[in-house]
Amino acid sequence: MIDNGFEPKILAFCCNWCSYAGADLAGVSRLQMPPNLRVIRVMCSGRVSVEWVIKAFSSGMDGVMVLGCHIGDCHYIDGNHRTKKRFVLLGKLLGALGIEPDRLCLDWVSASEGQKFQDVVTKFTSRVKELGPNPIVAA
Amino acid sequence: MIDKVRQIISDLLDRGEADAVLALANEHGNVQPYLYKKGDSLDNLVLWPKYSMGPIVQSIQNADPALKLAVVVRGCDDRALVELAKRNQISLFNVRIIGLACTEAEAKECACAHPYPRSIDVGDKIDGIVSSDELAEVSGKDYGGRLQFWKDAFARCIKCYGCRNGCPLCICEDCVLEDDAWVKAGEIPPPFPIFHLIRAYHLSDKCVECGECQSSCPMDIPLTSLYAMIREEFSGLFDYMPGADEDRKSPLVTSLEEEPIREGTA
Amino acid sequence: MNCDFVLTTCPYCGCGCNFYLQVIDGKVVGVVPCKTHHVSRGTLCIKGWSAHQFVHNENRITEPLIKKDGKFEKVSWDEALDYTVRRMLEIKEKSGPDSFGFLSSAKCTNEENYLLMKISRGVMGTNNVDHCARL
Repeated sequence: MIDNGFEPKILAFCCNWCSYAGADLAGVSRLQMPPNLRVIRVMCSGRVSVEWVIKAFSSGMDGVMVLGCHIGDCHYIDGNHRTKKRFVLLGKLLGALGIEPDRLCLDWVSASEGQKFQDVVTKFTSRVKELGPNPIVAA
Repeated sequence: MIDKVRQIISDLLDRGEADAVLALANEHGNVQPYLYKKGDSLDNLVLWPKYSMGPIVQSIQNADPALKLAVVVRGCDDRALVELAKRNQISLFNVRIIGLACTEAEAKECACAHPYPRSIDVGDKIDGIVSSDELAEVSGKDYGGRLQFWKDAFARCIKCYGCRNGCPLCICEDCVLEDDAWVKAGEIPPPFPIFHLIRAYHLSDKCVECGECQSSCPMDIPLTSLYAMIREEFSGLFDYMPGADEDRKSPLVTSLEEEPIREGTA
Repeated sequence: MNCDFVLTTCPYCGCGCNFYLQVIDGKVVGVVPCKTHHVSRGTLCIKGWSAHQFVHNENRITEPLIKKDGKFEKVSWDEALDYTVRRMLEIKEKSGPDSFGFLSSAKCTNEENYLLMKISRGVMGTNNVDHCARL
C-alpha cells in the first residue's frame, strides 16, 4: 500500500446475510485490514439506493463499497441482480461526470469468505489512496 | 408537408375516427399546443417549434380516458408515449399516432440520433445526428477535465426544476428531487452533483432524446450532452432502447435472466 | 372535454415571462412555457412553473372571516367591511397612521395593488406599503 499521507474515508454497504457475516468472520479470525472503512449493514445489497451512494460522494466520502451475496445466492433470490445492474451503471455515469469509477467498488463476499473480505477491502483502500481525495469536495 | 398533415387531421375528424387531434397552432404570433375538434379551421396549424406531447396526452386522458385522440408526434414524442404507456400513465388503445419525421435542420437543433417515429405518415426518414460539437468536446476530456466542465455548468443551476418539469418521463408524484434528504430547500445551486446525477440515473432507462430539459433550462446548461453520454453508457450495458418496445420492461427493474448485462462489460 | 392553452404573463416578478395555462373543462391544471416568447423563450423560474398552483388551491379563503373569541367565523361582506373600516379608523386615531403596514401580493392585479397603495398613502396617510415580490 502506498504511503502518501492520505487516509481515505470509505463507506461500505454490506448485506446482512453474506457480506456483513463475511466481515464478521474476518474480524473474528483477526485478519488485519486498513481501518478506513465505515460499515452500514443492510438486509440486502438490493436495498442500497443509488441516492445513498451519490450522497456519500457528494458529502465527501473518498470511496464507496457495495458488497452483497454472490449472484444466485441472494437471500431474496434476485435482489443482487438489481444491485449489479444499478451499480455497474452508476460507475459508468460517475465516469461521464468526471468522477473516477474506481471510487465505487461492487463485489460479492459470502458469509464464509472472511479472507476475501480482507482482500477486497485492502485492495480497494489501496486504490482509493492512489486516486487521492474526493475531487468533488476538493477545492 | 404541412398540407399533408392538415389533410390527415381533417380526414380523421370528418370520418369520426378521432374526437380530437392534438397538434400545434400559431395563435396571434405565438406557437402553442392545440386540440383540434371537428369543424375547427386548420389554417393556424404549424409544426415547429415542437412541444412535448407526452405530458399533454397524459393530462387529456386523465380528464377523459375514453376520448378518441389523435396526436401529431415526432420521434421523441412517439418514444415518450411508449414509455408512458409502459408505466400505465397513458393508454395507447384509443390513440391514433400521426407520425412526423423531422427534417435535417430540426434534427440538428435537437442533436437527435433518431429523428423519426416508429411509423411515419409525413416526411422522410433521415439519419440522425450522432454527436454534437459540445458532446465531442466533453467526451474527449479526461476525468479531471470533465469534472471541471460539469462543475462549471452546474454551478449555474438555479434549481427551477425546468428540466424535471419539461421532461415527459419525469412523472413521479413524489419526486426524490423534492425530498429534503437529498436536495435541501433553499440551497442554490444544489451541491454538485446530487440533483443532476440523481436525475440522470433515474432517467437512464427512460430518456427519449427530446431535448426538453435543455430547452427548458434558463441557464444554458448543456443537458442534452449529459443525457447523450448517459444514453451511450446505458446502451453499452443493456440491449434496450427507451421507447422502442411497449412490451419490454426496463432492465433496471428486472432480473439478470430477463434483461442481462451485455457480455464483457461488468 | 375541452382542453385550452391560454397565454398569460407570469404574475410574479417584473421579468414578464410568458406561459400557457393549460385549462381542462374550466380547471387550470398546469403550466407550459411559451417557446416563442421573446423574453422567456420557453424557460421559467420555479415560481413561474408553479404559478398555477394557487388558483384552485383548497387553502384559498372564499368568504369573509372575522376572528371572534379566538376562532374565525364566516360573516357577511357588509359586516366584514363595517368592522374593518371601524377598527382601522379607531387604531389610526389612537396610534397614528404609521402604526399601519400594508402588504400586497403578486397574485393580485396591478389595479388592485394600485388601490391598496392609495388606501395606504391617501386614506390612511402612511408610506408603509410593500409587496411580496420584493422579498
